[in-house]
Amino acid sequence: MKNKQILWRGEMTTKATLFRKGLAFLSGGISWLLIFLILPGLLFVGVSFATRGDHGELLWKFTIENYERLMGFSLFGWTPDYLIILWRSVEVAFVTTLVSVILSYPLSFFIASRPAKSRYVWLTLVIVPFWTNMVIRTYAWFYLLSPELPLAKLAIALGFIPEGTPLYPNAIAVYLGMVSVFLPFVTLPLYSSVEKLDWSLVEAAQDLYSSKFRVFRQAILPQTAPGLSVGIILTFVPAMGTFVVPDLLGGAKYMLVGNLIQQQFGSSRDWPFGAAVSLGLMILTMISLQIYSRKGKEIEIL
Amino acid sequence: MRNCHPIIKILALFTVWFLYLPLMGVAVCSVNSARDGWVWKGFTLDWYVKLFDNEWILNSALNTLILAVVSTAIATVLGTVLAIGISRFPWGRKTNSFLNMMLNIPVVIPDIIMAGSLVVVFGILREVSSMFDMGMIDMIIGHVTFQIAFVALVVRSRLALIGQDVEEAGRDLFASNWYLMRKVMLPLMMPGIVAGAMLAFTLSLDDFVLSFFLSGPDSQTLPLYIYAAVRRGVTPQIHALSTLIVLVTVVLVVGAERLSKKEVA
Amino acid sequence: MKRSIFVVMLLLSVFIRTGFAEDKELRIFIWSEYMDERKFSADFKKDTGINVKIDVYENNEDMLAKLQAGGVNQYDIIVPSDYIMSTLLAQKLIRPLDQTKIPNLKNVSPQFRNTPYDPGNKYTAPWQWGSVGLMYNKNKVSAEAVKSWSVIFDPSKQAGTFWLMDSVRDTMNLALLYLGYDMNSTKPQEIKKAAEMIIAAKNSRNCRGFKPGVGGKNDVDAGAAAMAIVYNGDAMRAVMNDPKRLGFVIPKEGGEIWVDLMAIPAHAPHVDAAHKWINWILDPKRGAMLSNYNRYATPNQASLPYIIAKDKKLDEIYPGPDTMKRLHFTQDLGSANRLVDEAWTKIKSH
Repeated sequence: MKNKQILWRGEMTTKATLFRKGLAFLSGGISWLLIFLILPGLLFVGVSFATRGDHGELLWKFTIENYERLMGFSLFGWTPDYLIILWRSVEVAFVTTLVSVILSYPLSFFIASRPAKSRYVWLTLVIVPFWTNMVIRTYAWFYLLSPELPLAKLAIALGFIPEGTPLYPNAIAVYLGMVSVFLPFVTLPLYSSVEKLDWSLVEAAQDLYSSKFRVFRQAILPQTAPGLSVGIILTFVPAMGTFVVPDLLGGAKYMLVGNLIQQQFGSSRDWPFGAAVSLGLMILTMISLQIYSRKGKEIEIL
Repeated sequence: MRNCHPIIKILALFTVWFLYLPLMGVAVCSVNSARDGWVWKGFTLDWYVKLFDNEWILNSALNTLILAVVSTAIATVLGTVLAIGISRFPWGRKTNSFLNMMLNIPVVIPDIIMAGSLVVVFGILREVSSMFDMGMIDMIIGHVTFQIAFVALVVRSRLALIGQDVEEAGRDLFASNWYLMRKVMLPLMMPGIVAGAMLAFTLSLDDFVLSFFLSGPDSQTLPLYIYAAVRRGVTPQIHALSTLIVLVTVVLVVGAERLSKKEVA
Repeated sequence: MKRSIFVVMLLLSVFIRTGFAEDKELRIFIWSEYMDERKFSADFKKDTGINVKIDVYENNEDMLAKLQAGGVNQYDIIVPSDYIMSTLLAQKLIRPLDQTKIPNLKNVSPQFRNTPYDPGNKYTAPWQWGSVGLMYNKNKVSAEAVKSWSVIFDPSKQAGTFWLMDSVRDTMNLALLYLGYDMNSTKPQEIKKAAEMIIAAKNSRNCRGFKPGVGGKNDVDAGAAAMAIVYNGDAMRAVMNDPKRLGFVIPKEGGEIWVDLMAIPAHAPHVDAAHKWINWILDPKRGAMLSNYNRYATPNQASLPYIIAKDKKLDEIYPGPDTMKRLHFTQDLGSANRLVDEAWTKIKSH
């Protein structure tokens, strides 16, 4: 019977009441997300099939021209430019995540090995850059890459760049900037897993295996998997779509998909193409997440 | 406490140094009396003093703060209520995965896509009401949209930790639901709510893309100001501003940690 | 309880700031470093009691993007270039001027009163005019080399590091001129060749990338690059400070001449204040103050007596007949705008 009394968490109530109450709680947040996230997303898909007028305005005329252009069929003949940019973004995101993970493990182990009091200090040291806006952390590299400082001097000596110029904008600068921006995104979640590591298991593994690598793979990796997953997702996906770092440190010489999208909403005033590229990025994101969840466990963010 | 292999120690320290290298560089430049170029010309605090004279900067700072506080407040309330709604009620499997997806989307979506779609949506909503003109309200809405998900996720995991037994026991003691909520559940959830709020606050301060796409006149924030200035040409004033921001961040982080320690205790 | 009161107060303050449109306010959207912002805001406030709020942009297309995304309801004055007029009119982004409120319009030189892009000053009043050329560091680049744009566009002749200008038409124009084509060409072949040449230049070791408006000038001034494509006024401000080290020139293949205008967006919130501003700028002494600060040429003939005498003689600011032959106006390309915009995206992406 519909209004059968059931016991839910110690309370006698009916399914209908529970449903009503539950809905009441959900309504605020879910409506907000529907209106400002889902609805815009759908509109956005629609815009990607619209036409751009001569003067940069949006015309609701159906066309798949934007996707054709994304695939390379532009007004000037076929060009792989945009596909290259998409690919390059995946590449940069991958390398950034990889380097961040490689650097985060030792850091997490180190912090976990500190006595409880000084752990807070080290964590604060990691959190402060995390809380600092990425614009600041990015442009700060201008100084470090300037011709007076050793990094650029080395490149000049090796002949990579002309005399007296800084080591940006170029690919190296972008990678440096990306790693320095995204590193805390991996470290902090990873640390929360490392903190809970059962070291006795690691010691047991050390008795069993002679190679350090196998110890890592068998004992450490599985235990830290949850934190690692969160860190990877929070880094890889945003890294693909970043535009501040490639904009400031890459100029127009190392363009990523984030810059391309931003340009379409800015001076190029081509919203339809921007939306099409965004959807391309979205698809890439979903594919990466699928690949990741196939290989790893179920993804639980927090 | 364990002994750390020296290589691990070295790598760890190198990583921390790497993280701070850019910030230290900026700090050094901010007290260098040379206007441009990278040669050391002498110590000065002039650039800091000039900051407080600059109306644009003060305005931007205020906007940044207002944006972060208001959006965090709204998102914390909505996110907490949402988390309660998701975890305290017996939803079916399909509903559960739908709700899960709704929470995960804002987290995994690249923010530039969210920004672009909001630009389009506000463009249309603007026809209806000028409240949606580019500016603070749009930015707040944008920030709240991704913050809700983060807050909800954090509070939800806190609720999972608390478990059902406390609720059942509490119900034996208290008659009404409302009382149960106030006296038992909320205090227990508080650490989660605070953590969620802090996360939301950080994300708002850290955001650049959403603000970039949605800002209007009179709603420029510090990151936008710095970005525009840096594109024209870096000046020591910007260095001073950045260093100041980092120092304020340190204070905020330490303060936040103290706050969360108190809540946990 | 206290926390919620605090939150409510903050929310209120947000709405108060964003909600009410002050009557005594003027919102200007203008190129960066185009006027003495502090002085002019203070002076205008003294003369009219109106508060001035300034937002800046670095090129026309950015300004257009902001307008199209909603800025048309929020700004009172914009400063577009001549060739953007057709887009502004086609998109109905600006409103006609009420000339009865701008008596100083009579001060404007005759050649700026009946222009092809705005006959009779129906929508705009001129602000400044100038050119696009090459700024260079005399210590690193010879005067001989900068006589031709090959010093930028020909990888074998690049004499030092340089910045291209982050502005669609300005850079494309120069590329087309260098290749010997019409600056306002609509032929896809020619546009394509120009794009490819810019890409080659951009990818050379010497090119540091694209910088908007004043960025290139600031970098050459700071010594971080040897050359940059810049607007003449910006360049001259730096050159006049250090004439032995810095120089500005229009190479032999030619350059661009432009006129910047003051216009009022279609739904500007403070139309009256906007008209007052335009009239105030066209005052003879005020116009001279403007040009003496930003080192551009004034379209206001009543201001000419008050311009710095030396400036009037400088070919870089007030080009003589020989230089004028090399300078061309940018035109709107109609449906071919699309070609140029796509070429630009291609240039940035490749």
